[in-house]
Amino acid sequence: MPRIKIYQEDHIASPMWRMWQTFSANPFAVIGLWAVIFLLILTIFAPFIAPYSAEMQDQQVLLLPPSWDPAGTVEHFLGTDDLGRDIFSRILHGVQLTFGMSLLIVAASLIFGFVIGSLSGMMHGIKSSVLSHLLDALLSIPSLLMAILVVAVMGPGLNNVFWGVGIAMVPQFVRAIHLAVHEELQKEYVTAAKLDGANSLQVFWYVIMPNVWDVVIIQVTMAISAAILDIAALGFLNLGAQAPSPEWGAMVAQGLDNLLLAPWTVTIPGVAILFTVLSVNLVGDGLRSALAPIRN
Amino acid sequence: MWRYLFSRITLFMATSLVMVAVLFMASGQFPVSKAYSLSGVQYPTLEQQQQIDQDYQLHDNQLLQFTAYLRQRLSGNFGISSNSQQEVLEELEAVLPASFELSLFSGFIAVFFGVPIGVLAALGNNKALQRSILAITLTGYSIPVFWLGLTLSMWFGVNLGWLPISGQINLLYEIEPVTGFMLVDTLLSDSSYRIPAFHDALLHLILPAVTLAVLPFTLVVRITRQAILNVMNQTYIRAAEARGLHTAKILLRHVLPNALIPVIKSIGLMLGSFASYGIVVEVIFSWPGVGSWLVSGIYQRDYTVIQAGILAVSLLIIFLSILIDLLHTAINPMSRKELYASN
Amino acid sequence: MPVIVKRWYQQMSLCLSSIVLAACGQVQLPSGLVYCSEGNPESFNPQLVTSGTTIDATSHQIYSRLVNYSQEKAEITPGLATSWQVSDDGLSYVFTLREHVSFHKTRHFTPARDFNADDVLFSFNRIIDPLHPYHLVSRTGYPFFQSIGFADLIGYIEKVNDYQVIFHLTRKDASFLSNLATDFAVVLSAEYGYQLLAQGTPEDIDYYAVGTGPFQLSQYVKNEYIRFKKNPVYWGPTVEIDQLVFDITPRSTARIAKLITGDCSVSALPKAGELAVLDQHKDIIIDAKPGLNVAFWAFNTQKPPLDDVRVRRALAHAIDKNNILDVVYNDTAVEATGVLPPASWAYSKNLSPNEYNPEKAKVLLHQAGVSNLSINVWAMPVARIYNPSALKTAELIQADLARIGVKLNIISYDWSVFTQKLASSNYDSVLIGWNADNSDPDNFFTPLLSCAALASNNNRSRWCNKDFEHLLTQAQSVSTQPERKAFYQSAEAIISDQVPLVTIAHAKKVVLKKSNITAMQIRPYGGISFAKTTQAIEGTE
Repeated sequence: MPRIKIYQEDHIASPMWRMWQTFSANPFAVIGLWAVIFLLILTIFAPFIAPYSAEMQDQQVLLLPPSWDPAGTVEHFLGTDDLGRDIFSRILHGVQLTFGMSLLIVAASLIFGFVIGSLSGMMHGIKSSVLSHLLDALLSIPSLLMAILVVAVMGPGLNNVFWGVGIAMVPQFVRAIHLAVHEELQKEYVTAAKLDGANSLQVFWYVIMPNVWDVVIIQVTMAISAAILDIAALGFLNLGAQAPSPEWGAMVAQGLDNLLLAPWTVTIPGVAILFTVLSVNLVGDGLRSALAPIRN
Repeated sequence: MWRYLFSRITLFMATSLVMVAVLFMASGQFPVSKAYSLSGVQYPTLEQQQQIDQDYQLHDNQLLQFTAYLRQRLSGNFGISSNSQQEVLEELEAVLPASFELSLFSGFIAVFFGVPIGVLAALGNNKALQRSILAITLTGYSIPVFWLGLTLSMWFGVNLGWLPISGQINLLYEIEPVTGFMLVDTLLSDSSYRIPAFHDALLHLILPAVTLAVLPFTLVVRITRQAILNVMNQTYIRAAEARGLHTAKILLRHVLPNALIPVIKSIGLMLGSFASYGIVVEVIFSWPGVGSWLVSGIYQRDYTVIQAGILAVSLLIIFLSILIDLLHTAINPMSRKELYASN
Repeated sequence: MPVIVKRWYQQMSLCLSSIVLAACGQVQLPSGLVYCSEGNPESFNPQLVTSGTTIDATSHQIYSRLVNYSQEKAEITPGLATSWQVSDDGLSYVFTLREHVSFHKTRHFTPARDFNADDVLFSFNRIIDPLHPYHLVSRTGYPFFQSIGFADLIGYIEKVNDYQVIFHLTRKDASFLSNLATDFAVVLSAEYGYQLLAQGTPEDIDYYAVGTGPFQLSQYVKNEYIRFKKNPVYWGPTVEIDQLVFDITPRSTARIAKLITGDCSVSALPKAGELAVLDQHKDIIIDAKPGLNVAFWAFNTQKPPLDDVRVRRALAHAIDKNNILDVVYNDTAVEATGVLPPASWAYSKNLSPNEYNPEKAKVLLHQAGVSNLSINVWAMPVARIYNPSALKTAELIQADLARIGVKLNIISYDWSVFTQKLASSNYDSVLIGWNADNSDPDNFFTPLLSCAALASNNNRSRWCNKDFEHLLTQAQSVSTQPERKAFYQSAEAIISDQVPLVTIAHAKKVVLKKSNITAMQIRPYGGISFAKTTQAIEGTE
């Protein structure tokens, strides 16, 4: 039985709902979102979809062009590389390494950054100032340099990319959250809550938290696209994922030897990276403009 | 203002100190002996070993070792490169100008094209044009720089044969380094092939500079556009319009100076990723700068080179971002006001 | 609004194009030749190394040898020694030296006297005499000379007068002159050596090199280039090239791209697969000759589990060489059944090669009682004449071994680090090879697999076999070719049986050059030489 409306009332949408409406009104952002969902599905199911394994070599079909080329075949949709490995399968397996890895890195550094950032944001005085200087120093090391440092200590490899990029990313989260918390802390409604007798934990959890999550979301989307580009760049420089790995940046590096002869071995992984980063950025952009009116 | 300047300088000192400390800790973790990773001497003679122990106080506690490390690095002793047996500082001095040349040139390209296009994107009436500008900038922002560099060199270098794709100049030109900037040095050299050499150096610069310029360019366009949109809504612009000033004059006198302030700030924030991109671009185009030097240092496990490279790049970033911060405060009356208010 | 944007561009582009136009005069490059080389040299003295990269950059450019080997005449020809006599017992060699040969005048050194016997004594005593002031200056030792037991071979070197020296040998060695003609046996300046010693910087002798060769070292920037200037007073035929630059370009694709864009005129070591790209470029010539080289996969026979010959045999049976020839060499190489290439006079077809047979490999592994085997392989990061891509080879072998249940980890470092670390002998196996330094078949055995080579770390298999050693000594002491050939064939049989290494291929030696480069010859062995190269003057571009 439907509820009977006695009074004419304006339904005030929740901020979340309003944000979603603005977001979905932007066609580019929606396309980006679909692409990201698609990639997420691939991250989980790619190994089951891929027609071949990433390392399977078929010497009968070396450097086969993609299927739309007259010389290409449908069996190897995106062609093969110089060891006869199916590029389509490698790209699919690579989703886990490049995109999945970036999600993992961002999640890990988010947790760290969130804890440290909120603690430091709630602090005052000298402790806070020391911490923020420390962060400034760490922030000034570009992620690639940080990764180079980690590789110098631990040697190249995909695991070390996790540490390198992760360590470089934590300060960014800490800083963003620190600033956001600090800013909210100055506002009057927080003072009001304090006057009501809320302790710091309550102030943080019930008062400040609901107002900083938008900062976190924006930071996360930016971090994901940055992490993908970093993982790929390290793979390309041969400091990250090593030779047979189907990580996209490493695939570009492996294809480099055939650049003149078989440009698709470089182009296709490059396009895959571009597509992924672009869709993440589209979502990020959409979120940012959807959140802008709420934040102001 | 002086007080502000002073506080920024202390900030610079403090952050640099932290940076050196991070490097010091890392160099203790390198998979070689500490004496080797600090000095670069792989097979020291007995005398050298003693000298190194003494210089870096290797028998003392960590804190004393750190101060010794700091003292050595500040006095310009970066050890020797284990690969080339040359002083690391000398090598660093040789590669830094090339990186500056590349970054300055691409920064110039980014601003030269970015600001006007940003203006166009903000003020143009053509919706399609605006949208496509935004789409292009978003793509430019998402493109992996190594792939872009490869694609450009493939097209313009190999397929079309228009531009050289590697190095700073054709190696047959023997240019004496004076400033380290190849473009300047070619003009300064007294050889008969001065002008062709300059021309050649310019051609070599184009592809890497354009590749590196893509990231700052997209940012400059986006931020200029945003800033101009903000400024155009301000009352003083409407007042100027109401007084019947010429649109061009409004734009040049009132809009741009105010809109460019946030652009400066965003350039400061971008330095880190710009440096990362620079390293990759230098590797792709074999540009003899600090980035390719550092990466080959990694490949060659040249630990002194790694330390010096990372230190140089990050100190530069710290310095420049603080400089930009100062600049921003100096030309922006608004932030000066905040400054005094907060003090 | 766009009006001012337009105006801004008009003004700026006007200004910019005027700069460019001013620069667009005639484009006339300074005369010289750029060679795209594949890596940094480890030092500038070939005595200290075996790596081809260093040999290419130094041996025939900066230095000269006492004698040379002429490919056309197939005999030893005069170098710094104008003539030589061998005593009847074959134990002493008298060399008459060339007069009026001047060393390079560089920034660090101005020669006060011409080349004479002192320089010869200085150069060779450095290698054989542990008390020589320069003997210990080399941290890497003298790997080639140690691997052929040079110090034991030479009793002493006697100076008769300024232009005559005698080498006294302790035993007869048929390959002695051939070894003096190798790229390693260069002559340094004694005067420069003592000058540096007095200055307290003896290690500079191997970096700021001084020799008597056609080019003198002008400048070396690591990872970038090596610049040589023509030696105006070269003792040999006049050098045609004013300036020679080695453009250090590790990536093979980049070398080809540079050749296409005209940044270099000669390029080393193209990847076989890429040669097809050059079909569209008529101005680039592909020069290929069968080379005296062999690529192999060496096992560290001192480290378990590879000290077990059954495991080594199993691995030898597991790899599909035809596949490697196909993928890596693109059929520009022939399959290697033994160490000697078909171009060598001592070659004959190996009758019992370790054929490709994964089933047999599995059985052998089972017999050896090894399961879940996991070994590492070190793969060279750079292209070498004998193997254009060791990393690709390693990936293929990895897939082959996976089929018999062996896990292979690929390890690679930058070239200079790679050779250094290899000396520390902590590897399971390594993909490397050998490019002959002279045409003597001994060059494929003694420097690679002898016990002497084990001491000098050049024996990558770390293998020392008495029967094998005995055969090599016998082959050196006889001088007719058929007799020596028989000994070398027996040596090959031992290698096939004991499998200290699996030979993979003998590659063709390929050099790419612009069509205006002439008179540049490819030698099947040793390093590259630009002494006789000429370059037609190109018109303005």
